[in-house]
Amino acid sequence: AGVLSQLSSHSRNGRVCVSPCFSLQRRNNSTSPKIKVDLDSSTGVAVLMMQSPPVNSLSLEFLTDFCINLEKLEMDKSCRGLILTSTLSKVFSAGLDIMEMYGTSPERCGEFWKAVQEMWLKLYGSNMVTIAAINGSSPAGGCLMSIGCDYRIMADNPRYSIGLNETQLGIVAPFWFKDTLVNTVGNRTAELSLELGQLYSAPEALKIGLVDRLVPQDQVLSTAQDTMSKWLAIPDHARQITKSMMRKQTIDKLLSNREADITNFVSFITKDSIQRSLRMYLEMLKSRKV
Amino acid sequence: MANALRNSAKFGFSGVLSQLSSHSRNGRVCVSPCFSLQRRNNSTSPKIKVDLDSSTGVAVLKMQSPPVNSLSLEFLTEFCINLEKLEMDKSCRGLILTSTLSKVFSAGLDIMEMYGTSPERCGEFWKAVQEMWLKLYGSNMVTIAAINGSSPAGGCLMSIGCDYRIMADNPRYSIGLNETQLGIVAPFWFKDTLVNTVGNRTAELSLELGQLYSAPEALKIGLVDQLVPQDQVLSTAQDTMSKWLAIPDHARQITKSMMRKQTIDKLLSNREADITNFVSFITKDSIQRSLRMYLEMLKSRKV
Repeated sequence: AGVLSQLSSHSRNGRVCVSPCFSLQRRNNSTSPKIKVDLDSSTGVAVLMMQSPPVNSLSLEFLTDFCINLEKLEMDKSCRGLILTSTLSKVFSAGLDIMEMYGTSPERCGEFWKAVQEMWLKLYGSNMVTIAAINGSSPAGGCLMSIGCDYRIMADNPRYSIGLNETQLGIVAPFWFKDTLVNTVGNRTAELSLELGQLYSAPEALKIGLVDRLVPQDQVLSTAQDTMSKWLAIPDHARQITKSMMRKQTIDKLLSNREADITNFVSFITKDSIQRSLRMYLEMLKSRKV
Repeated sequence: MANALRNSAKFGFSGVLSQLSSHSRNGRVCVSPCFSLQRRNNSTSPKIKVDLDSSTGVAVLKMQSPPVNSLSLEFLTEFCINLEKLEMDKSCRGLILTSTLSKVFSAGLDIMEMYGTSPERCGEFWKAVQEMWLKLYGSNMVTIAAINGSSPAGGCLMSIGCDYRIMADNPRYSIGLNETQLGIVAPFWFKDTLVNTVGNRTAELSLELGQLYSAPEALKIGLVDQLVPQDQVLSTAQDTMSKWLAIPDHARQITKSMMRKQTIDKLLSNREADITNFVSFITKDSIQRSLRMYLEMLKSRKV
């Protein structure tokens, strides 16, 4: 439900996709860390680098790593701000790992979905200043991560795209994805965006307010650092109470419905018709690579 | 007096303002004065014509109720019947709303349903207005408003009930919820729909001032999504429809329902109270006086 890793080398609209050779690689050895964190205790800023080839897919393993790292930073009194970025060329994150949803058991699906919820709850509800340094394409779950942050800086490349494109795959963004999107771009744009499953180029994303700033690719991280200094100049307690006031209602809506949301997801995704949609999509991706 | 008023043209409301005078503020296009002297349209002519192309799954619903596609009880009943038929028709996936009348999409609620009518009749009328909105805003079909003329008040409500709005690029056409200019008030569900479309601040400003926006202004604030030349409104709606219909139905429908359910439920759980409120408000002497003054103002412009 965050779908769509654009693994094909061909794509509509000339958008950048991951090169075909990645899709033939074996799944990344799980002893290499998928996430690297540099914490500068003097500035209080951590940079979390997603480095899980080919496309920083949000698998159960990745999400678990992510949440562990986030929790450590949240508990670390010396850490006041977090920059999220990617080490992979052209991709921030291609979203939820479709293999966690296709052909897996209901139990495993449920475990996976709980981890997706956890990622969003920790990120959207973080007390730290969170800045997404979006240095590549960011569909689906990658978009969710981005809009979970306080601020979004994207590389000014019209071939990078970002958006919640579930419906294009025949699936549906859950209500908390929708709420986060509405909170970011407003109701009308969110309705249009979600129904059409739209992916926006970086310039389009800026225009609708899905991202806050566009800068040249090589300035994304430095701009994030500069922006972070500005945010950290605000007294922490005041900023945190304000952030919580803004986001609490949205967060509580999921908190009070977590189990039901997992149940809904599992029963939806395990439907024959939905599994068929997913299979067709996987086959479409494969055929593009040949 | 009542007779003369009944013989006068029907104009819109939703509480508001069909600009039937040939003179109008801001140079906006209004219906020509000769319409106002016509008799009420013969009720055996259909006020609504539907062309359903079963191969594409697209229906075009044409409002053809001269002079200004006023939303009367009769019109609304026809509208709802047609909408329900299309909703139940498995071969129909998308609906385009448009008008056959020159320069007018719909001038809104028929003021004669609110002026000098019995409370019972008022209540019946208001229930039909609710029904129109519930069916349209809650439709599972892709709905596109091809706004080929002015669309104040109830016409605006219809438009913002759709998924997408394409308007003719004519600065003399206007659209908006202008109730307060007439001394009446848009009900909460009109307000909710407007907020969902243009955001809270703009909705507050728009509703308090009862603003009518020209087509270019409407695009600017997001009240409509696209402006095209008059003769391209319908074809653009068809092209847009194809794009929307390329999305798997079930995914789009569940998403649409997720977006709109809360707003719809707010009226569903308060329908009777909303009718009662409307009837007691509209039948107040002071409000009836406002309506009469408005009718007289329109009449005097035509002389």
